[in-house]
Amino acid sequence: MTSEIIQKYLSNEASEQEVQALFEWIAASAENKKQFITAKKAWVLSGLSNDILSDSVPLIQMKPKNKLRKYFSYAAVFLVLIGLGKTISLFTDSSKASKEIVLELGDGRLEYFSVKNQTTLVNDKGNLVAKKFPDEIIYFGKTSSDKIIYNTLKIPYGKRFKLTLSDGTVINLNAGSTLRYPEQFSNNGNRNVYLTGEAFFEVAKDKEHPFIVNANEVDIKVLGTKFNVSAYPENPSVNSTLAEGSIQMYETANPSNVVLLEPNQMATWQHNAKKISLKNVDTSLYSAWTKGELAFKDTPFSTIAKIIQRTYDVEIINENSDLARQNFTGTIKISESSVENILDLLKRDTPFNYSVNQKTITITNPR
Amino acid sequence: MNNSSFELNLFKSFKEGDETAYTFFYDKYFRRIQSFSFQFIYDQEEAENLAQEALLYLWQNPESVESINGIQAFLFTYAKSKCLNLIRHNKVKDKFKNDLLNHQERELDIEVLNSLQFDTLELTELERIIQESINDLPPKTREVFIKKRFENKKNAEIAEEMQVSLKAVEAHMTKALKILKTKLSDYLFLIFILIYNN
Repeated sequence: MTSEIIQKYLSNEASEQEVQALFEWIAASAENKKQFITAKKAWVLSGLSNDILSDSVPLIQMKPKNKLRKYFSYAAVFLVLIGLGKTISLFTDSSKASKEIVLELGDGRLEYFSVKNQTTLVNDKGNLVAKKFPDEIIYFGKTSSDKIIYNTLKIPYGKRFKLTLSDGTVINLNAGSTLRYPEQFSNNGNRNVYLTGEAFFEVAKDKEHPFIVNANEVDIKVLGTKFNVSAYPENPSVNSTLAEGSIQMYETANPSNVVLLEPNQMATWQHNAKKISLKNVDTSLYSAWTKGELAFKDTPFSTIAKIIQRTYDVEIINENSDLARQNFTGTIKISESSVENILDLLKRDTPFNYSVNQKTITITNPR
Repeated sequence: MNNSSFELNLFKSFKEGDETAYTFFYDKYFRRIQSFSFQFIYDQEEAENLAQEALLYLWQNPESVESINGIQAFLFTYAKSKCLNLIRHNKVKDKFKNDLLNHQERELDIEVLNSLQFDTLELTELERIIQESINDLPPKTREVFIKKRFENKKNAEIAEEMQVSLKAVEAHMTKALKILKTKLSDYLFLIFILIYNN
């Protein structure tokens, strides 16, 4: 019923009474409104094509065999949180250079993202491969059969970054993450990328070339879905959270050690036990950072402290043992809050003192 | 990408100030911009003026378009902000007798406009997806949809031309919109994410 009225409204054929009924329906719930907006967007965007005339359209049409076309329907959006008990000192040697976003090209050249305006990236043959913005890079889709050149992108603490791969896959990278990925994917075989840290993936659909996130001892294989990945070296585990569709996580060295995830599930790789466990979670919690938020639910302070360190590029020394065991729930807008704001908020629940010395914050027992 | 070398050459000439090349792009995009604007300002003539303005702005600012794919993004971005301005400054004619409806429609249109982002690369892909989706519609449904969307025919006219009932035309339109919504859903979802990132 409603979809008919929406259709009539969009084609300007609805009566005023019908429009009134429609608008009342839209006002009734956020879900209705979303449905309407999506419909209008689809309608508006459908005009965005070459003039098509009904009598000039042949009844049978050959489907163009263009690989790129397939890529662009996003098959998967996922988040994985990975960490493996080792201390990787990538960002701990706090040389000044590491505070910039660095892109290492296949031939060893380094590109920095400190420049304000947009620039382009050219490969060794002089071909244009990508567009660079201060907090984003977009690769152009060219199917090349040449040998694969890997680029490495390093995001320091305190920064986030967005990357569009040549196949159309969009990846949001969180603070303190490193991603290795090909400049162009090969025409045959899998689409492999290598992650340390945390990332939100929206994988472009391409059934013939599975997309695989390699995260230390496990691989996450995208089977056609929406999901999220994130991986940090200081945690003794790898977490992968699925929002929609299906993905599988398996041990790289032993692919039969595998689990298949359903939406709203999180798979956790236990490094010590070499086991993968599954549990049901609220996935929005694990992708909040892509919206510029920190979301916690019964999260221990020790975990929160790690997240604050990465997000704000600070060091937190906690000498308060009560606080370390305390769990917190809540959501924080990153851009609108300072570390002090957050600590002051937590202090109301569990009293403690803290002092700030440049980038080091020391938390002590309340006086 | 799918641009012919013919268009690429025209783009180069356009950048150098060649009027013939500009005319080619004018003809190619005029109706698209007009049709887009009409969905928000509901006046054919105003929508034409707006499209003309957008294209004039393109002619005056060739340096702001870097690639052939950027033309469309440039024009739509212009049209989007122009539409938003017209709505916000109450320059859009009242469509309904009930003023509350006019108000509600504008609010909704502002939301729709704000949620549209015209990124060069995505737009190029989107154009292909749309073309493909329309071509993939069942034949009758496609015919109805094209007559409606691209030839601006009234449902009654379409019903007569195709010798079917008015209800059948409406059913085809509902079906077409449903299919397009599904086919574009990934794209619509993507836009949603992009907004949150800003």
